[in-house]
Amino acid sequence: MEEPKSKNIQETSSPEGDKRGAVKAELISKIKAAFENVTEKEHDGNRLDFYVDKNTILQILTHLKVSEGFIHLSHISCVDWLEEGEFEIIYILWSPKDKMKVFVRTRVERENPVMPNIDMVWRQANTYEREMREMYGIEFDGLVGEREFVLEDWEGMPPMRRDFDTEAYADETFWKRPGREDAMDVREAIIERSREEIPDFAKKYSR
Amino acid sequence: MREKATTLYIGPQHPGITGNMMIRLKIEGDTIVKATTEVGYLHRAFEKLQEKRNWLQSFTLMCRFCVPETDPMEELYARAVEAIEGREVPERAKYIRVMVLEFARLASFMLWYGGQNGSLGLYTMGQWSVGDRNYILDLFEELTGGRVYHMYIWPGGVRRDLPKGFEKKVLKTMDYLEKRLDDYDNLMFDNAIFKKRTKGVGIVDKEKAVENGVVGAVLRGCGIKSDIRIDEPYEVYDKLDFIVPTQEGADIWARALVRRQEARQSIRIIRQVIDMMPGGSVYNKIPNPQKWTLPKGDAYVRVESVRGEIGMYAVSDGGLNPRRIHVRGAAYVHAITLLEDVLVGENIADVSAIMNSLGTCPPEIER
Repeated sequence: MEEPKSKNIQETSSPEGDKRGAVKAELISKIKAAFENVTEKEHDGNRLDFYVDKNTILQILTHLKVSEGFIHLSHISCVDWLEEGEFEIIYILWSPKDKMKVFVRTRVERENPVMPNIDMVWRQANTYEREMREMYGIEFDGLVGEREFVLEDWEGMPPMRRDFDTEAYADETFWKRPGREDAMDVREAIIERSREEIPDFAKKYSR
Repeated sequence: MREKATTLYIGPQHPGITGNMMIRLKIEGDTIVKATTEVGYLHRAFEKLQEKRNWLQSFTLMCRFCVPETDPMEELYARAVEAIEGREVPERAKYIRVMVLEFARLASFMLWYGGQNGSLGLYTMGQWSVGDRNYILDLFEELTGGRVYHMYIWPGGVRRDLPKGFEKKVLKTMDYLEKRLDDYDNLMFDNAIFKKRTKGVGIVDKEKAVENGVVGAVLRGCGIKSDIRIDEPYEVYDKLDFIVPTQEGADIWARALVRRQEARQSIRIIRQVIDMMPGGSVYNKIPNPQKWTLPKGDAYVRVESVRGEIGMYAVSDGGLNPRRIHVRGAAYVHAITLLEDVLVGENIADVSAIMNSLGTCPPEIER
């Protein structure tokens, strides 16, 4: 564990690292002056995380785009924290001027999740939001676009949620090949039909 | 008198479409008045499957996200895992990775040459370039054992060292391909049909590009100098000497000129890498994959592919499996909101040329 520390010191003591540190500190103070309830976390390199409330997400993203030069929305991702009863939504922005990545992170409850829509700031956010609506069941205020994105006639739980049981869904939806119902597990079928001895390590991985 | 709008479906199976997806067009005469992209023919739930597999098993799915560009995806996964875990990569492995990534770029350029010309009815180029692509696939086969899916760049380094005499073979292949690129210029860029069909078609100007989060050659084709290899250098790209070409035209022709120069730059990079490659090991061994856990954390990494920036967001909750793997391909932003916008006002005959120029890859949209 000693090596990463010394690497960090080298990085921050270089002129590039100093400049980056100054840019980060300035950005943090600006964002904290403009918005309440923002906490930040600094990472190595060119990454900076902001934890914000979901109701300020539109304002903070617009501010970062218009005033701070984060003109490129690189990614929007969603993580299902089932144990905590929340979805985490992460907006990753890129500033070509400062060569900096900012992660704007927010959380929304899993029961009836509603998020602000941001596709008027970046047009491509529309696609991400449509996918999240379909795959996680998160509604976006005023999102325009067909409800069906990838799935067709889907009913029931959105499939990317952690509590969606993929195996049970496959068993219900798809039928087994006629006459081969007993041979779903190849190794077990071999044992049963030929009475062949299978070594222990092979048995361990059978279902 | 106003003509009545008709609905025309292009795809999901169509020779001009770059994969299985559908564009629903509203047309008046030959002119498109509204376009809607419909996907859903290739959804394989890779990201859901990856949540059920361990860190090494989910790596094997990565290269299957988009067939023409398999290595950038492997690179993303390897680098995301290394970033979360803090694993070091040997210097030699970094050089080999850059070499393989540039092979992948070259192979993908060759496919693009064929696709772009084929979409305009110029089929000779496809036969030349896809044939020449096989020489790169031969190199891949010798190095990795596979022609299309390699599973070579993996967490901790690369799977095996270069075979004996491989560098010489690479240099010979590069000499050959460089000569061939001149032939391609004669066939493609001196061709009046190609010029007429591509100039002023499929325009993505600067405002539209920033508004839509456009990346890669499409962005460079409208005059914005942006390349992940320069902006956020990974592996050893900061030690290499290459230029990032830009054009001002913002149409298919401009993007073709950008890609033409980039293919030459790839050859230049491969020569430098072969020249500078240090010795040493190529792989820092990972622990037993069945018991391999990563610390809690997340990482977002990006790679410059032929079609533009590809990003991957990976989250670890400290368990055996990834909590979330989310890939953002170039096609994800190009093929839906941007394509729907660009197609309005264009001719039906140019649809597939525009799709090829924007780097549409349907499997990457649905994953």
